[in-house]
Amino acid sequence: MSPASRGAPLRRLLLWMGAGVLLAVWAFPVVWGLLTSFKTERDVLAYPPVWLFTPTLDNYREVIFGTSSILPNLWSSIVVSSASTLLTMLFAVPAAYAIARLRYPGKRASGFYVLATQMLPPVGLIIPYYLVLQKTGLLDSYSGLTAIYLTFSLPFAVWLMVSYFEDVPFEMEEAALLDRAGRMRTLWYVILPQVRGGIAVTTVFVFLNAWNEFLFAVVLGGNRVRPVTVAMFNFISVEQTQWARLAAGAMLAMAPVILIGLFAQRHIVKGLTVGAVKGGGRR
Amino acid sequence: MTQREPLDPHPSQPTRRRALKQAASVGLLATAAPHLLAQGDDLAPYRSAKINWKQVEGESISVAVIPASYFDNLLSLLPQFEALTGIKVRAEKVPPGQIRQKALLDLSSRTTTYATHAADPMYYPLYVANKWVEPLDKYLNDGTLTDPAWFRYDDILKAWRDADSIDGKPYGIPYDGEVTVQVYRKDLYDAKGLHPATTYDQLLSNAKALNDPANRVYGLAMRGFAGAGQNMYIYPSLFRGFGGNWFQGKDVVVNSPEAVKALQWYVDALTAYAPPAVRNWNWPDIADAFSQGTVATYLDAHSSAAVLNDPAKSKVIGKIGFARWPRGPNGKRVTSIWNWGFPINSALTDKQKKATWLFISWAASAETQARTSWKFAGAAKRSGVNRLSAWKSAEFSQAVGGAGNNFIAAALESLEQDTDVEWRPRVPQWPAIGETMATAIQSALVGQKKPKEALDEAQARIQQILKS
Repeated sequence: MSPASRGAPLRRLLLWMGAGVLLAVWAFPVVWGLLTSFKTERDVLAYPPVWLFTPTLDNYREVIFGTSSILPNLWSSIVVSSASTLLTMLFAVPAAYAIARLRYPGKRASGFYVLATQMLPPVGLIIPYYLVLQKTGLLDSYSGLTAIYLTFSLPFAVWLMVSYFEDVPFEMEEAALLDRAGRMRTLWYVILPQVRGGIAVTTVFVFLNAWNEFLFAVVLGGNRVRPVTVAMFNFISVEQTQWARLAAGAMLAMAPVILIGLFAQRHIVKGLTVGAVKGGGRR
Repeated sequence: MTQREPLDPHPSQPTRRRALKQAASVGLLATAAPHLLAQGDDLAPYRSAKINWKQVEGESISVAVIPASYFDNLLSLLPQFEALTGIKVRAEKVPPGQIRQKALLDLSSRTTTYATHAADPMYYPLYVANKWVEPLDKYLNDGTLTDPAWFRYDDILKAWRDADSIDGKPYGIPYDGEVTVQVYRKDLYDAKGLHPATTYDQLLSNAKALNDPANRVYGLAMRGFAGAGQNMYIYPSLFRGFGGNWFQGKDVVVNSPEAVKALQWYVDALTAYAPPAVRNWNWPDIADAFSQGTVATYLDAHSSAAVLNDPAKSKVIGKIGFARWPRGPNGKRVTSIWNWGFPINSALTDKQKKATWLFISWAASAETQARTSWKFAGAAKRSGVNRLSAWKSAEFSQAVGGAGNNFIAAALESLEQDTDVEWRPRVPQWPAIGETMATAIQSALVGQKKPKEALDEAQARIQQILKS
C-alpha cells in the first residue's frame, strides 16, 4: 500500500483535487490552443467562449500548404536543433567527464570558465555574433546558427552532465581501470551506461532550448534559415493577429518536441530523480 | 513547377534550398498568378518614364519588409520589376519589432545586408545623424535616375514625405502608411442621436452615453499597451491637443503641465469607459473587440478598417462610421501618422545605390501603387496608398470606400489637415526616449503611479539619455 492510499478518504480526495488543479493549470493553455487551432477566426473571438463549435481544418491547411506555410520553417528548426544537439552531446559528454573525474592543471578555472560564458545576457552578444557571422559569410546559414547555438547549449550540457558523472561511484571506475580497460573504454562501457538517464535528460533539454530559441534566430537567420519560432511570429502582423493560424502553427511546432518527450520520458523521470536524491549536485 | 520557373528570382541556388523556397512561395505565386495573367507583364506604363530602367542590369539587392498584406502585394510583383530592370531583388520578411534591430545592426556596422528596408519614420534622425542613409534629393534631381514628370514626388502625401525628411531633405520615400481616425458604431450613434465627436469632451460624453459594460458594450478604446509605437502612438496626439510642446529650446521636456493634463485625461478616459484589459491591448486587439461589437468608439489607424470588414471575423460590417480625430482643448486636431518608407543604405556601392533607387521609385510609383491596391487581383486591396491622386481617384474609392461611412474623406482630411510632423519628438535618441515614455505611460494607466510622478521620472531618465 502506498502512503497516499493509507490516509483518510477526505485527505485522499483533497490530494486528488490539488493534483487536478495543478494539472488543469498546466493543461489549460495547451487544450485551449488545441481547440483554437480548429476554430474559425469568428469563433476564436466569440464571447462567451464557445466550447462546442464546428471544427475546421482550414487553419492547418493554411499553415501547411498556404501562403504562410511553416513547413520550411519546421525543417529549419529540425536541422538547426538536431545539429546543435548532436554536436553538443558529442563535445559535452567527454568534457563533463574530464571536469568531473580527471586531474589536470587549471581544472577549476576551466570549470568556472564554462559557467562564466553563461553569465552574459544573450542580448548583449547579438551584435558581436552578428558581426562575426557577417564577416565569415555565415549569416542566414545553417552552420552559422548551429555554431551560435553551441555557445549556449555546450556550457549548459557540460554542467548538467558533470553532476551526473559525479554520481557514478569511483569504485566502478577503479575496478574497470584495474582490469586494464583504458580511459576511453571505461568511459564507453562502464560509465556511460550509468549516466544514460542523464544523457537523455540533457539531450532533451538541449534540443528544447534550441527548438524554442527566438532571439538569435530572428537576428542571425533570414530567408533561408528561419526557425519555426520566428515564422510563427508572422501570424502576429501589423494588421491583425491571426489567432487560429497562430494556434495551428503552435500545435505543429509542439508536435516534434512532444514526440521526443514521450520517447525520452522513461529516462527523464529516472534522470530527474537521480539528481534529486543526491541533492542538486553542482548545478 | 515548370511554368513557375521563370518567376524564380534565384535560378542559380542549390536545388534543395530552391525547393524549400519554392515550397514557401508557392502560395504567394498562386495568388499572384491570376493577377499576372490579367495584367500580363505589361511594362509600358513604366517604360513611359524617360529613364533607362536597365542602367544597372545584373545588380542584385536585398530588401527587408515586414510581414503585412501591403508588402505581400508588392513582393508578388517583383518579377515585373526584375523584368523591367534586370535587377535581382532578394526580399526578406522580418517582424516589425525586429526589423528595427536588424536594420540598426546592419547600418551601424556597415555590413550592407539590406540595400533598403521598411523604415520607421522616427528613426531617420538617428540614421541621418550618423550618415547611415543617403540624402535622396540627389536621386530625385538626377535626370538619368528620375523622370520628375513621371514619378511626381509631390503627388506623394505631404505628411508622410515630411515624416521621412530631415531639415527639408528627403531620406526615405513613403510606400504605405496610415493616419489615426475615430472609428464609431454608426448604428449605436444613430439610435441615440449622437454625432462623432469634434472635441475631446464630446468624445467622453459620447463614450458615457454608450458605455454599458453589463451588456458588454464599452464606450471608448485606445491603445494601452506599452511601446513606442503603441501607447506612445496615441498619447503624443493627446499631449499636442492639450497644447503640449516636446521641446523647450533644444531640450526635450515631457513633464510640463500640459503633459500631466493629457496623461490624466488618457488614464481617466480608459478607466471610465474602456474594456478592463485595454491597458494591455494593441491595435489588433482593439480592432478585434470592435469587430465583435463590444466597443462603441475607438481612435486608431484608418487601415484597421480591413479587419472590421473581414466577413470571416466581423459582426459589425455595414455599421461602421469614420470621423477625424477630435479637437483638443487648444483647438487643434493632432492625429498620429505613420508610414513605411524606403531609405538607401549609404554603405552600398554607387551601382547598388542606383539599383536600390530604381527599386524604390518603382515601388512608390503611381503605377505600382495602383497595381498593389485597386488593380490587385487578390483579396487585400491596400488602403494605405501613398499618393494624393490615388486617394482622390474613383478606382480607389470603389475598391476601399465601402469600409464604412465617410471612410476616405475622414482619412484624407486627417492626412491633409490634422497632422503635425512634430507630434512625436524627432531626435536621434528617439528609440530610447520612446520606450522610456511608453513605460511611464503604462505605469500611469495601470495605476502604479500618478501621471505627474510617472512623467517626472521619465523626464529624469530622458535627461540622462540625452546627456550620454
